[in-house]
Amino acid sequence: MSAVPALPRPARQWRDGELAVLLLLPIALINAIGFILPVLNLARYSFNKSRIGGGMEAVFTWENWAGLLSDPFYLELVFNSVWISLAITLTTLVVSYPIALYLHRASGSWRTFLTVLVISPLLTSAVVRTYGWIAILTDDGPVVSAIKAVGLPAPSLMFNIKGVFIGLTEILMPYMILALMAGFGRLDPRVEEAARTLGATPARTFTKVILPLTLPGIALGCLLCFVLAVSSFITPKLMGGGRVFLLATEIYDQAIVTLNWPLASTLSILVLIVFGAALWAYSAVLRRLD
Amino acid sequence: MPMTSAPEEHLRLEGIGVSFGAVNVIPSLDLSVRKGEMVAFLGPSGCGKTTTLRIIAGLNKPSRGQIKVGGRDITQLPIHDRDMGMVFQSYALFPHMNVARNVAFGLQMRNVPAREAETRATQALEMVQLGHLAHRKPKELSGGQQQRVALARALVIEPSILLLDEPLSNLDAKLRDEMRVQIRALQQQSGITAVFVTHDQVEALSMCDRVVVMRGGQVEQFGTPTEVYERPATAFVANFVGRTNRLKGTVTSEGTLTAAGQQLRSATTLAPGAVDILVRPHRIRLQETGEAANKVEGTVSSITFIGDLVQYAVRVGGGEIVVEEATRRDRSPLAVGDGVTLGWSAEDTLVYPAGEK
Repeated sequence: MSAVPALPRPARQWRDGELAVLLLLPIALINAIGFILPVLNLARYSFNKSRIGGGMEAVFTWENWAGLLSDPFYLELVFNSVWISLAITLTTLVVSYPIALYLHRASGSWRTFLTVLVISPLLTSAVVRTYGWIAILTDDGPVVSAIKAVGLPAPSLMFNIKGVFIGLTEILMPYMILALMAGFGRLDPRVEEAARTLGATPARTFTKVILPLTLPGIALGCLLCFVLAVSSFITPKLMGGGRVFLLATEIYDQAIVTLNWPLASTLSILVLIVFGAALWAYSAVLRRLD
Repeated sequence: MPMTSAPEEHLRLEGIGVSFGAVNVIPSLDLSVRKGEMVAFLGPSGCGKTTTLRIIAGLNKPSRGQIKVGGRDITQLPIHDRDMGMVFQSYALFPHMNVARNVAFGLQMRNVPAREAETRATQALEMVQLGHLAHRKPKELSGGQQQRVALARALVIEPSILLLDEPLSNLDAKLRDEMRVQIRALQQQSGITAVFVTHDQVEALSMCDRVVVMRGGQVEQFGTPTEVYERPATAFVANFVGRTNRLKGTVTSEGTLTAAGQQLRSATTLAPGAVDILVRPHRIRLQETGEAANKVEGTVSSITFIGDLVQYAVRVGGGEIVVEEATRRDRSPLAVGDGVTLGWSAEDTLVYPAGEK
């Protein structure tokens, strides 16, 4: 014992590892009960047999998986969903990047004001925002009327994939902007100035310095928006008018309309696999950047 | 350094001014830097030295005035066409590139063929003794190494002017001394014109051919380190460059200078009125025995031992004078309460009109 003035001695000394386990226990429990168990349950359902009328037979069959992977409709559905989500993610990135960069450089109360403006759509439900877009893009809405007024052929922007594309892009923008800004930490204005003094034009400063330094933010934003796009359901359902078939809407239809739970479960697990692939791609990008 | 007949002017600032709204940060600045010389912008923070440097680089726009390099007006030239090599206080290396690619960046931007760029980058790194770290990322380097990479990166493009913005401020004292010598040596070897911004008078005096002492966006004095130190143009310069004692005094209509109830002698001719008298602590002898232009009796009131220096505070009629003396062993040390006779020459009595800060 040392001669340190007598401090009240803790009843028990926790070792670091023990303490970490103890602190992680609550979230681990919540995740186990609220996430892992249901997913395992879902995985189990995907091997059940569906009965006409919505019942399930607890057997173990590969029927659902085999059926899914051999049906051109579902293969196209998966392919379309992934492709459209990627395209939406990319569009969201392109329109969000300048905003995020501007916000990153803005300062003081102006920056606070703009950030609140960016986040404010998140305070409104996606349903309301989707109905807003329907009102704007519908055949006699302001956008189509304006295009007609200029004398161009009237496009059909609602109840097809175009409407879904526009609506989802706008809905995902706040997420993309926030993720980009979170990833812009390495962007030091002095580094940009260094590039400029070394002879880089603004364009080359962007491609050689700004863009590479913001790649972590871009990767994070794309991952987030891709996942949100694939799993988005309300916007494609409402703006697609029942004519746009994507993974999330199909899962809803199978689970709620057709009452084929095993197939809905199989599709859900498939979505999870797609997300796994996205996560893998994200971490691969991050590893390369380091 | 031997002076050639008429050193050619390289950089010229004419009536450079900066205003933010109604605030005149820099009223009007005129400055001329010769080819191959290293000039320090010295002053306290907020004196406009960094702003002026950034205006030369093109990173800030002046509200008025012109910048000329080699006689050519570059005021409207974009940053990337100015051909300046800038070294930042925060190093500002590209974190996603290794050291070699950082150094080669400026060459790449000038469309120098890849192989040549690589060779020149390697040479530049050798020049700062970092050839062996070419493949490291900046974050794997120490602060001093990063600053040397930044220096190599700025020099490799053979810029028309090298701009250094407080390059040593983030380094520890010992490293700063080494870097000072190294930067000066590299600048002299390459014969490049350099502008060095600093708030540290030691850096300015020891590294640069000439020093611009700035204050409130204006030039207080522009001269060689010796001129600035020995013949400060204003009381501000005397205070900022080196340490001083300040005494309040008056000049009578006959031109005699009195302070602390005593007559003092100065080498400068004086206008009658209230004056501030500045004397550098190390120019005062503690135990004056011979003839001196200025002789003041006093008592030692405190002694501070600094190592190579001892500071004595000496109480004289109505004031206190600090005297600095190199540590010595050839005589018994003074003690508090000892009577001393201070002595200094007329050249060391710097006199300025009172009220000047």
